[in-house]
Amino acid sequence: MSSAYLLRETGGNLVRNIVMTVAAVVTMAVSLSALGGVLIMRQAINKATVQWQGGVQLAIFMNANASGQEIRAIGDELHAMVPQEIQKYWWVDKERAYAEFKQMFAGEPAFIKVMSVGQMPPSYRVVPARAQNVAQLAGQFDNQPGVHNVGYPQQAINQMLSHFSTLRTVALVLAAGVMVGAIALIINTIQLAIFSRRREVAVMKLVGATNWFIRVPFMLEGLAHGLAGACAAFMLTYFSRGTIASFVGSDSLNFGAPLYVSPHEAVFTGVFILIVGMLVGMVGSAFAVKRFLAV
Amino acid sequence: MIRFNHVTKTYKGSTVALKDVTVDIKRGEFVFIVGPSGSGKTTFLRLVTKEEVAEAGEVWVAGKEVGSLAPWKVPYLRRNIGCVFQDFRLLPTRSVYENVAFALEVIGRPRHVVRTQVPQILKLVGLETKMDRLPGELSAGEQQRVAVARAFVNRPLILLADEPTGNLDPATTGGIMRLLERINEYGTTVVMATHDRQIVDTMRRRVIEMAQGSVVRDQVRGVYGMVDA
Ligand SMILES: Nc1ncnc2c1ncn2[C@@H]1O[C@H](COP(=O)(O)OP(=O)(O)OP(=O)(O)O)[C@@H](O)[C@H]1O
Ligand SMILES: [Mg+2]
Repeated sequence: MSSAYLLRETGGNLVRNIVMTVAAVVTMAVSLSALGGVLIMRQAINKATVQWQGGVQLAIFMNANASGQEIRAIGDELHAMVPQEIQKYWWVDKERAYAEFKQMFAGEPAFIKVMSVGQMPPSYRVVPARAQNVAQLAGQFDNQPGVHNVGYPQQAINQMLSHFSTLRTVALVLAAGVMVGAIALIINTIQLAIFSRRREVAVMKLVGATNWFIRVPFMLEGLAHGLAGACAAFMLTYFSRGTIASFVGSDSLNFGAPLYVSPHEAVFTGVFILIVGMLVGMVGSAFAVKRFLAV
Repeated sequence: MIRFNHVTKTYKGSTVALKDVTVDIKRGEFVFIVGPSGSGKTTFLRLVTKEEVAEAGEVWVAGKEVGSLAPWKVPYLRRNIGCVFQDFRLLPTRSVYENVAFALEVIGRPRHVVRTQVPQILKLVGLETKMDRLPGELSAGEQQRVAVARAFVNRPLILLADEPTGNLDPATTGGIMRLLERINEYGTTVVMATHDRQIVDTMRRRVIEMAQGSVVRDQVRGVYGMVDA
């Protein structure tokens, strides 16, 4: 089976039913975009919560211009609480904070450029002796002089996760519902293509073309629908990944920075979407071919 | 080449189209199948290509029992059989050349084979000057020549023709018949169902007459028949 033949037949089919083709591709794109959105949000959340793993449950952010005295006062207070109430704590100065920031937003140089070391809030990172004390500790330090705010991740993370779980449910239901429509449209488009080419198909059977030879152009057409829809969804989720990430909530943990997904993480999601799109297109057209193309 | 062994075929709705038919057609023969409408001529031909399957008896084609042939082998069976019909069955949006080339392309023949075979066969049927026309721009006789070219371009062992001259006037009919004789001379077995008394009577080839699904006459150098059909 020559590639020129396949290209000609599949291309011809796509163009012949341009309206149906567009409808199938667009619905596919909507469905896969919703799916992609969920994945992007999940990536953003994983990224936002990763620095809180390793036991840190509390970050006391100082004002960027907090005096040395204010900082020392907090340090002394923390020191006095080890080991009964606090297991351990350490100091993250502006340089370290900036380094963390750079690492987190690697791949977004413009973002990094607008922030300077001087603007980064230094912080104490605290591992409490008992997890139940987190809320009480947070309250104790929140209003002390020089303290900007106390990052209190467990609560914020829980809140973010519950928000995400709602969004995820909505988006997945949307993705599944629209996907059903997309599959129906693909099947219908292939059916039309088979019908409009019934004369050719009859001749092919007559002269002894193999079943696969007759089927493959139609199956490639379904594959093309899936692939085109997936490409559109890929672009959409890739370029709006910031907006999508911010749906989950701005990140109160990281000094209010927006949730963030790096380009290469978004590409990873995109590849997944492409694979799903192609699979759905193939399966849909295989069904149509099996059903409507008696060979 | 084609052997029917006590073949019975009943369509859904209990129409008995063939009843215990036994026929043996040798390689290189030219055979007419005659008989009134509904006597089972088309059914006979469709059993040869496995477009229909007999429910009793055996259908042997080119050494294979067609009824028990695996589905994936059916296309390869059909590559040995060319088919021509009363209504030509050409692709209206493709040129004469493309119609014939299509038959080779879809069985995976390489391009250089297509490029040499198609003009050659179109020359044989006398259409070498009309290769770029669409079927709609040809006379009925010319369209049937294209159909014959398509059926024969792969040099099949067998050519089946179901009333190929049914839509043609007597002069054009003569041309098509000479073409089929020519193809027969190349060694291809030709089986032709027809209602055309004149062809059968002038050509004096083997005649198998059917009536109500049974073979009622099988003559080596036969005529159309005693009664008007
Ligand atoms: N697909 C079908 N389904 C049901 N019955 C059929 C089918 N095809 C043919 N028949 C019946 O089988 C019988 C034989 O039909 P067939 O087409 O073989 O006759 P024929 O000799 O070719 O007739 P004609 O000269 O009119 O072409 C007829 O009674 C016909 O009605
Ligand atoms: Mg008939």
